[in-house]
Amino acid sequence: MTDLLELAVSILEAGGIYALMALAYLVVLRPTGIINFAVGEWATLASFFSVATLGWWNLPYIPGAVLALAGVAAIGALTEQATVRPMIERGAPILTPILILLGMVVVYREAAALGFGTQNLRVPPPLGFGRIDLGPIAIPMQSAVVIAVSGIMLAGTWAFFERTIWGKAFQAVAIDRVAAGLMGINLRLVAAFSFAGGAAIAGTAGVLQAPLTSAHYLMGLPLAIKGFSALVIGGVGRVEGCILGGLVLAACERLVMRYAPIPSGFAIGVPLLLMILFLLVRPTGLIGARGRT
Amino acid sequence: MSGTGGRTLLTVRGLAKRFGGLVAVDDVDFDLDDGEILGIIGPNGAGKTTTFNLIAGALRADAGSIRLRDAEIAGLPAHKVAARGILRTFQHNRPFKGMNVLENLLVGAHRRVRARPWAAALGLPSARREDAALAAAARETLAFVGLGDHAASDVSKLSFGQGRLLECARALMGEPAIILFDEPAAGLTSVEAERLGGVIRGIAARGIAVLLIEHDMRFLLPLAHRVVVLDRGAKIADGTPAAISREPAVIEAYLGRHAGAAA
Repeated sequence: MTDLLELAVSILEAGGIYALMALAYLVVLRPTGIINFAVGEWATLASFFSVATLGWWNLPYIPGAVLALAGVAAIGALTEQATVRPMIERGAPILTPILILLGMVVVYREAAALGFGTQNLRVPPPLGFGRIDLGPIAIPMQSAVVIAVSGIMLAGTWAFFERTIWGKAFQAVAIDRVAAGLMGINLRLVAAFSFAGGAAIAGTAGVLQAPLTSAHYLMGLPLAIKGFSALVIGGVGRVEGCILGGLVLAACERLVMRYAPIPSGFAIGVPLLLMILFLLVRPTGLIGARGRT
Repeated sequence: MSGTGGRTLLTVRGLAKRFGGLVAVDDVDFDLDDGEILGIIGPNGAGKTTTFNLIAGALRADAGSIRLRDAEIAGLPAHKVAARGILRTFQHNRPFKGMNVLENLLVGAHRRVRARPWAAALGLPSARREDAALAAAARETLAFVGLGDHAASDVSKLSFGQGRLLECARALMGEPAIILFDEPAAGLTSVEAERLGGVIRGIAARGIAVLLIEHDMRFLLPLAHRVVVLDRGAKIADGTPAAISREPAVIEAYLGRHAGAAA
């Protein structure tokens, strides 16, 4: 029983991080149609920024984390304006910005290595490494923080898309870009905000992950792969799909790590296998996009 | 010349558009007033749709001016024309598929949204108040066009005629100065056309100018305050429906030809 509960907590924790990474893809993909593989590097940059704001400058946790996220959000918006917008406005096919952003992965990664070095950097956790005693189990404090923050972020993004006029505008841009422009929706603002938002969301995953694994300039790639897998498994299009995909992926991964007789290094193959399986059997994911089923 | 005595809103002078050797619109002038319903008619190939597209910004004029109040809008791209308050409906209906009726109206309200996206994402009170106010306005607008019971319906569930009413409602949500209708009665049953005519009268009664391109005379003549007749790109008449249907040039170019074809 205790064993299962602890497993459930670790699935929620990992699932929250994966769901955030999937969401970072989604908020860029939904209005712009761009699959942005730089999300992993955004997570890396944000966790390095948190090393600076929390570790070096000793800011209190919340302002320090918010500052790190604001930094990576600004980088997201600037990247959109400098590399994506000129291409889109000259009528380039959608593959062009996707490839440019793939190139930006290298730029971000090398910049992070130059600025922060290639060693592991510790990031202080917001509430220490203690445990919360909950009867049969004791939850590590950082797990509780990860679950709570990712839950709030996912719920907030869902509410933005489903409950606000701006969320509807983002959806409208995805459905019919030209007609959306005729409704007075500022397409440039939508693109810039989706990149800033995607960067802040990926950055949140990075800042949450950093106290557990330390910040490292190569930490982005596994996050990017897992987020993409979660996106495919859950179904591209909706926040619910990211959550479900993140949880299913985390559950498979943790169950394999715990019960399957394979070396733990192979466990990183699980998301890829699961993604391939879904692409073969159910390419729309568990939850298809609304109106496109 | 005015059908309603309102202020002149749109002034079109010397409008011209050529496609290669074909003169589609040739030196066309007309005015449109506040709250006026102006119909543009003419036989096929008369230049109606080209005129519509020139005003909506879908095409660029070769010559001439289009002034909204005192601002020149000829040559602006379509989204900037829309931003100035000239909103269009689509002949083949173009809802945002996958959204419900009310959500389509909320997207149509975007011209009025003052909150920035980050304010909405953070759930700031000002953004929430604005969302609530626009949702209330959207329900009123739905009731006004007669779709009050369909707020939560998916747009794919609407009939073609209801889809046309949705186009009207979505344009109204943008608080336009002018609504452009591209053959609004096309494809409608006579009952649906009757209902749409009532909605268009209601729109004009709110002080919004209406410009309709139409070739169904039975729909247009009872509805329009004033009619501009085009033939082979040029204006051949401009006046009340009663006056233009007596003009020999109009009868020959339009009514006569149809009467001849029917005989």
